[in-house]
Amino acid sequence: MSDEPLIATATTLNTIRPELLTMTFGQMAALSPWIWALGGALSMMLAAVLFKTWKWVVPALMIMATAGAAWSSTMLMDLGDQFLFNRMMLVDRFTLVFTVLFAISALVTTLSSMKYLDREGLQHPEYYILMLFSMIGMMNMVSALDLVVIFVALELMSISVYVLVGFRRADRRSNEAAVKYFVLGGAASAVFLYGSALLYGATGSINIQEILAAVEAGRAGGSLLFVLGAALVIFGFLFKVASFPFHMWMPDVYEGAPAPITGFMTTGIKAASFATFVRVMAGLGYGDGLAEAVQKHLHDILWISAALTMVIGNVIALTQVNLKRMLAYSSIAHTGYLLVGILVGPASDSGYGPIYLYLLAYTVMNLGAFAVLSALAKRGDSGINLHDMAGLSKRQPLMAFGMAVFLFSMAGIPPTAGFAAKYLLFYSAVQAGEIWITVIAVLCSAISVYYYLRVLVYMYMREPAEAGGSAGRSWMASAAVLAMIVLTLQIGVLPSRVIETAKSISKTAVPQIGQAGARAAR
Amino acid sequence: MAWLDTRLLTVLTFFPLAWGVVGLMLPSGKDGKAVKAWSLVGTLLTFWISWILLGKFNGGTADFQFTENLPWIPGLGINYNLGVDGLSIWLIMLTTFLMPIVVLGAFTAVEERVKEFFFLLLALETGMLGAFVTLDAFLFYVFWEFMLIPMYFLIGIWGGKDRIYAAMKFFIYTMVGSLLMLVALFYLMHQHQLQFGSYSAAITDLYKLKLAGDGWFSVQGLLFLAFALAFAIKVPLFPLHTWLPDAHVQAPTAGSVVLAGVLLKMGGYGFLRFAFPLFPQAVAQYQMVFMALGAIAIVYGAWVAMVQPDIKKLVAYSSVSHMGYVVIGLFSLNTVGVTGSIYQMLNHGISTGALFLLVGMIYERRHTREISDFGGITKVMPLFAVAFLIVTLSSVALPGTNGFIGEFLILLGTWKTSQWTAVVAGTGVIFGAVYMLWMFQRVMFGPLKNPENEKLKDLSLREALVLLPLLVMAVWMGIKPNLFFNKMDASVAAFLERSVVKSAANDQAPSAPSQKAAPVPGASAKSKTSKI
Repeated sequence: MSDEPLIATATTLNTIRPELLTMTFGQMAALSPWIWALGGALSMMLAAVLFKTWKWVVPALMIMATAGAAWSSTMLMDLGDQFLFNRMMLVDRFTLVFTVLFAISALVTTLSSMKYLDREGLQHPEYYILMLFSMIGMMNMVSALDLVVIFVALELMSISVYVLVGFRRADRRSNEAAVKYFVLGGAASAVFLYGSALLYGATGSINIQEILAAVEAGRAGGSLLFVLGAALVIFGFLFKVASFPFHMWMPDVYEGAPAPITGFMTTGIKAASFATFVRVMAGLGYGDGLAEAVQKHLHDILWISAALTMVIGNVIALTQVNLKRMLAYSSIAHTGYLLVGILVGPASDSGYGPIYLYLLAYTVMNLGAFAVLSALAKRGDSGINLHDMAGLSKRQPLMAFGMAVFLFSMAGIPPTAGFAAKYLLFYSAVQAGEIWITVIAVLCSAISVYYYLRVLVYMYMREPAEAGGSAGRSWMASAAVLAMIVLTLQIGVLPSRVIETAKSISKTAVPQIGQAGARAAR
Repeated sequence: MAWLDTRLLTVLTFFPLAWGVVGLMLPSGKDGKAVKAWSLVGTLLTFWISWILLGKFNGGTADFQFTENLPWIPGLGINYNLGVDGLSIWLIMLTTFLMPIVVLGAFTAVEERVKEFFFLLLALETGMLGAFVTLDAFLFYVFWEFMLIPMYFLIGIWGGKDRIYAAMKFFIYTMVGSLLMLVALFYLMHQHQLQFGSYSAAITDLYKLKLAGDGWFSVQGLLFLAFALAFAIKVPLFPLHTWLPDAHVQAPTAGSVVLAGVLLKMGGYGFLRFAFPLFPQAVAQYQMVFMALGAIAIVYGAWVAMVQPDIKKLVAYSSVSHMGYVVIGLFSLNTVGVTGSIYQMLNHGISTGALFLLVGMIYERRHTREISDFGGITKVMPLFAVAFLIVTLSSVALPGTNGFIGEFLILLGTWKTSQWTAVVAGTGVIFGAVYMLWMFQRVMFGPLKNPENEKLKDLSLREALVLLPLLVMAVWMGIKPNLFFNKMDASVAAFLERSVVKSAANDQAPSAPSQKAAPVPGASAKSKTSKI
């Protein structure tokens, strides 16, 4: 009786290796983005209590924290892979480039939120703090090598955003959106968790590297338990990225949420979910290591989901008059393109690189578009229907020009970031031999041209309906829009650097999991 | 100026855009006079740069000249690769020649948002020149798509009553075609990687690819269809022409002139530069299909033009008809036909451009384009009548005008390849004369019934200056075609070498029996006699 706890302690001690009790310099350096973000979050909470002038201090801290996280991430690019906390987390270029992306997302959302919140009378410090915590969740998620860590990070990210979605608490649509998102998101998390449990049962580990090692060793790849677990995990992610048939929640949530938060969700959360999706797919041995039949099965799931997501997103977007809803459906459509990226990743030269580039481009252009919408929204988050955009080019030329650039970019027309993203993606798809899904994808983007250009028609080719007062200007929102315009065009005209980055992360990061996993297993 | 020699094409291409960006910063002032003058000077300078290019261009070789090659996206083998040869040099000259005319012609027509209008015109010029000078298939696509943006705004903002519908239709039509071309292009780039082990999108590299070409839906066949769809929409070829009348009629005069003068030529140029040399076997396979479509376009365009009550719409349908000649000339695949086609592209740019300008001038005065509102205009606008007459005659291909040379060569070339196509196309010449002259008669002659027409002013000095270069060119090109052919001959021969002889050789070598007796088009073309 009394022996058992002792034995347990002994085995536990055996698994802890001494090198884990110390941290190398590299490992500590790898944590610096987290130090910026967490330090920022804690000091923001303190500042909110201590200073009467928190209205300026908290956003300033927020800007510092996100800019610091982005800056430190770029500084660490050549650090090499750093495993942290008993191999539960990995900081490599893959993690770092996505961290930069999340930081951009949070930073731009902050800039476009200030004026918006004033107008809505919702200026509360919690808004920024929750956003930063959500960002920390994203960073954890993308660096996680462990299904449970992924789950915890997913919850941190999601719960913060559930609150933000319902932030306009006097508004019915906002409340509805929050509840809907919370209930369905909770269900999806549960599905993911259940899938993780089954994977643990099939492979004996929750560590992605060890799962991959087990699959590669042929120990689990074909079992029913594994397939079921893998499918459930994939469904969990398909929900998070809102792909068909799990896309129903998205338009309502995007419409109900405050406009800046919608921008944050379409960029940050989508990028984090896709980045983690990529890690997990690589960890499941997709494209390399899985049994033939299972491989084909997962391939088909993704193929059908990608095709239908593109078609449905684009077709329904055609009929939308509310711009937030339209962008929500367009976001579903872009999810479809990104799924093509996951589908073809292992078989193409660029690996999962196109996904990074696409997410980067999408983040830049979508943040810009939502910054414009936030700046234009009148009190009560209203005034962002198509006819509200009429004659915008005369009332607010910068906003109209920005919106035009972002919409051209979303439609994938050169010389914009969206075009660079699309051609790298389609080129990879052709390289992987997936001609037909590429043809569907390009035809869908031809459809999408219609609804993107319709906004341009209103902005540039129609006169304003009435002299409705403009929502007031904010130099911060203008600065954000300007920066996004510059980035969109810069990535479009000179894409070679980001394409090299995209290729490099897919070459080092994703296979690294496999190699390290194999080493760990031996 | 050695620097200019090595970077001449870059300077030529991006000069208008850079000039336009500076123009955006000028003060608008009253009527935006400063901006108008600025743009005119810019397009004239561009024309001058292209003269330098023409002067240094060597017509004796088929090689690409003034080449520039800088890495752009090395990760995918995409380079900033420029060069000109005899196929593109005259289209470049056409573009730079038309632009000052367009800008000068738009001086009074544009009242609103003057700065943006002229900026878009200059940006459009950069897009068009870029598409003509690039030797990288991907870069070509970039410019090809980029051109849509300024044109979309030109139609959509400054166009007529249904401008939004027309702009949308124009954009989406072109987009659908070109996206499939993009996929085909990626396939080619991927094939290059498989066959040669390196990434490349340079067309000279892609020409070397070996692709299975037997049958209608072979690899070559499908790729050819993807490329041909994009180009056929742009040309536009029957039955993909429906965007054109809308776009032409709704566009402002400047937009119509550029659209007819240069943008439609992109389609023909695309066939010349890409579709033919890349897929010779598929071209042989589909030759008759496209010749038939071209012949239908000629006759159909002419018939529809005949019944139009609106002058601008009539001119638009005449474009469909005239571009049909270009297509059959190209697909005749012999020296005479191809040379005639390229020549006809230039002619069409000049004469249809002039027609749109004339229609625009009369529209500015009367705010109507209905043929029935006019009649007897000769009496009040004699100068206008003379100009209109010369352009009309050039458009109906009267001997001594440019149109005659082009159409005659095309019919000659077509006769060698397919006699019945030549016969059908020949009737198109007659119908062409019918609708143009009938329209001219109804507008210009007869009694001056409508009292509103009595007060019409004749051409102003500016308008005369706009039309004069076009009229001179229309006659000059009819009298001295050899000046133009001299610079093209070598390139046309090389083009046919790539597009025809190879396919004939391939057809006959191992897989001859599987070809179901497709007429070998090279047979007639090989006798490269015809010194015109």
